Amino acid sequence: MDPKFRPGDQVQVLQRDQPGHVRTPMYVRGKTGVIERIVGSFPNPELLAVGHSGLPYKMLYRVNFKQGELWEDYDGESDDTLEIEIYEHWLAPV
Amino acid sequence: MSETHDHSHDHAHPTHTHDGKPIQEDPLPSLEAQILEASVRELLIEKGVISSDDVRRAIDQVESRTPALGAKIVARAWDDAEFKDKLMSDSDEALMAFGVDMRPTELCVVENTDDVHNMVVCTLCSCYPRPVLGIPPAWYKRRDYRSRAVREPRAILREFGTDIPEKKQVRVHDSNADLRYLVLPQRPDGTEGWDQERLARLVTRDSMIGVSDALAPADVED
Amino acid sequence: MRGPQDYGGMPAGPVDPDTHEHVPTHWEKTVDAMMMLLFDQRRRLARVDESRRMQEALGDDYHKYPYYERWLQAISWLMLEKGVYSQEELEAKKAEVRARMEAEGHGS
Repeated sequence: MDPKFRPGDQVQVLQRDQPGHVRTPMYVRGKTGVIERIVGSFPNPELLAVGHSGLPYKMLYRVNFKQGELWEDYDGESDDTLEIEIYEHWLAPV
Repeated sequence: MSETHDHSHDHAHPTHTHDGKPIQEDPLPSLEAQILEASVRELLIEKGVISSDDVRRAIDQVESRTPALGAKIVARAWDDAEFKDKLMSDSDEALMAFGVDMRPTELCVVENTDDVHNMVVCTLCSCYPRPVLGIPPAWYKRRDYRSRAVREPRAILREFGTDIPEKKQVRVHDSNADLRYLVLPQRPDGTEGWDQERLARLVTRDSMIGVSDALAPADVED
Repeated sequence: MRGPQDYGGMPAGPVDPDTHEHVPTHWEKTVDAMMMLLFDQRRRLARVDESRRMQEALGDDYHKYPYYERWLQAISWLMLEKGVYSQEELEAKKAEVRARMEAEGHGS
């Protein structure tokens, strides 16, 4: 499986309303960040959660967000960042 | 902050100090929860899924995992540049020397520097590098920390007594998927020539979560 | 839809590192140990993701349940779902345990 994204790529987290167990918290949905690194391919947790094998595996990335992109009222410093792991099927190119 | 792991649990339910004051912040399990726990455990034993010995051994394993192991790893990384490089690039192999197996997760070590302060949270549950730090602290699992650590990390850090200079970047890691995070705190000044055992005494659990820095020599030396 | 577990960025109170400290009790470690055993390579009876799905299914009760009681409920629901024991077996066992604990004066 080839990763769709490379470190440094700009990506947007999908603003998807999906019931069931997902590992993409609301606060990053719809937000734009940068691929920090490719973690590797992992079983899909949305399928593991319902007792399946997690196949097909999903590419997982660490995505870096500026805090100001996540929170309009962020009161820390402008360089502050947040990094989180996002599976490829939750990401769109920008 | 001091480490609070207590290895002196000789009695079965160490929920009160000698003066009868509860030492736990969570309420005691309700009678219903006690009944459910015993019922589930006994059913699993009757069905041959687990044995009482399995449970005892697993509790031993839970108790054997403490932040002391994480502290040893950090101290070695401070002292041994080659080990540190390996820990940062291929943590699985580096951790083998400590008998640590993170599978099915992977350990991601993030390093504090003069310019960056790292801090770890799991907003969705309580993911934590248990093989190297043990059971997460109560505050790590609570709503307050999980809600606010991503949005106002500097305020949270102040609540832990940790002031981060404006110039320093705060990098929050939401441990939401397959990696587990260990913060490599900055080696304190005044520790030149210290051996790893002495260095490890400066490494607190909280410094490896990133809510505080490592202790200063004056904090531990007599 | 936001699940009850999805706390990131929600309003919440201060963190008090001292009072929010807690030494795990034997009871809690027992629940922890059971979860570990059910997840282990030998049994593989459940995955952590399944346990999370069950905890999230608590809905508003998620916030009220103490941490390890949430785990315990997840374990029990998973064992029922997987047919390790039946609802009838669980009820019968609970009645037996309740009678025993009440006779021993527990929970009073």
